[in-house]
Amino acid sequence: MNLPLNATLLQCENLVIGYKQDKRSDAVGLVTPVDFELKAGEVVALLGENGSGKSTFLKTLCGLLQPVSGSVLLQGKSQWTARERAKFITLVRMGGVVCDRMNVREFVGLGRMPYAGLFDGRNQEDENFVSEALALLEIEKFKDRWLTELSDGERSRVYLAQAVAQQVNVLLLDEPNAFMDIPRSRKLFTLLQKLAKERDMGILVSTHSVEYAEKYCDRIMVIEKGFARCERASDARARGLLDWTEG
Amino acid sequence: MRGIDHRILVGFALLIALIAILSYLTLFSGAVGLSWSDLSFKGGQYDSVEARIFWQIRVPRLVAAVLSGISLAVAGLSLQTLFRNPLAGPFVLGISSGASLGVALSLLAGFTFGHFGVLSGAAAGALAVTSVVMFVASRFENSTILLIVGLLMGYFIDALVSLLIMGSDAESLRVYVSWGMGSFGRLTFDGIWIFALCTVVGLVLVALSIRYLNAARMGDDFAKGLGVNVRQGRVMVLLGASLLAAASTAFCGPVAFVGIAVPHLSFMLFKTSNHRVLMPASALCGVVLCLAASQFSKFPLNAVLSLVGVPVVLWVIVRGGGLRR
Repeated sequence: MNLPLNATLLQCENLVIGYKQDKRSDAVGLVTPVDFELKAGEVVALLGENGSGKSTFLKTLCGLLQPVSGSVLLQGKSQWTARERAKFITLVRMGGVVCDRMNVREFVGLGRMPYAGLFDGRNQEDENFVSEALALLEIEKFKDRWLTELSDGERSRVYLAQAVAQQVNVLLLDEPNAFMDIPRSRKLFTLLQKLAKERDMGILVSTHSVEYAEKYCDRIMVIEKGFARCERASDARARGLLDWTEG
Repeated sequence: MRGIDHRILVGFALLIALIAILSYLTLFSGAVGLSWSDLSFKGGQYDSVEARIFWQIRVPRLVAAVLSGISLAVAGLSLQTLFRNPLAGPFVLGISSGASLGVALSLLAGFTFGHFGVLSGAAAGALAVTSVVMFVASRFENSTILLIVGLLMGYFIDALVSLLIMGSDAESLRVYVSWGMGSFGRLTFDGIWIFALCTVVGLVLVALSIRYLNAARMGDDFAKGLGVNVRQGRVMVLLGASLLAAASTAFCGPVAFVGIAVPHLSFMLFKTSNHRVLMPASALCGVVLCLAASQFSKFPLNAVLSLVGVPVVLWVIVRGGGLRR
């Protein structure tokens, strides 16, 4: 999808996130209403302590969780079919189930599923996107290995490649560098910058690496004690957004 | 995944050749050797004992082996994927127990289920269990809960069956036990069409869920992120797999081995988790296994499958480098 530069891809209006405990009790809001916009071409870092609601926020944005109240608009629309949404936005998570019996290339190919037909076939275009994603994340050399044989850091890159192959406009990443060494983490953030600039993607990345957030991201969003604030990365420290990190 | 690579082509060709050879053996060798010339018609009548053996015994047996091979293997594969559990199969969902209860009711307690007697009893039992599982599936998102419910249902029904067995006479018990051993020889010419219809409908339901199955291995959230309708996929796979398993259990008895072993076997052969390849591969492997077992038609099917099949499958798995865990 070609969009004008700085187009608003994602918009939260009075969004309250949280979990419903069960059907009888009221939903528990984690964060006071959030107003937030993600534009094409920018990388926003999402910071906050464990359990502050970063993952909940990301899951709500991509539709895996229903908001407690308020709404998430993708390109101004709140109603999307599952398939169209999957072509527009995706969330990459690192932990969880490691799929056995699947090799790297096959797994990255899953990213093409939103574009596939009824029987999940692939065409040459799909293959090209997959190869490109493998190259971008520098994982071609183990494309034939099983997912279970990789280290956590290597697997993180495979998960990212899958999202890149999915050709979305909005990329949400949940602690992508949690398992990565320092050079890899830096490479990852420069890659995110590159993806945002070259492909006009909007990227929201949760991380604990404050220094990379300041250095490589355009804006920083902090969720702290149920409040969400967002500032330009260059102003964040001066405006006290990072005070909590000093503990 | 583009096109069909070399390994897959060779694999399919091999399996089809094996099926052709085994089919020929099933039809023409056995206690009475047959040849094409024995099968000529005269005025639309079977003109010989040989032709009668061919049409009334050999062909139904071939069809029974082929259809159960397909349905058990595909049901096993799709359920293993759905539950993300290599031990899952039509049997952990309590489907075979349901069928057994229906059969026990008809054989041991004297209930009749219409024209097909025992067979419709099995189908009714399997369907009853399936509807309970479906009901649970519609209320819970968690696949593990389904697995537990299926197992519990199985225990409950087995208890009911054992009560029925206690109060039954020796002759009906003998028939029930012989059903439980499994056989491809019980399918009649009339039954072929029903079995075939159930298999086709079940296959269509599962085949339409290939996208779901391919994504489901990483969990439901992951599948949703790829734009897959998880709830619909799960219901279709459960319905299809239940139908496949129920039909096969009704017509050939409870045959657990194929559903568990074949998906592993076909993965070892084809080294892919893409259900576009794995599903037809499993179906063909299932047919090979069932046709091979049907060569020993004098012995109980489950005994043959386990005595011959277990060592073979173990060998393949050990040589193939384990389950890659």
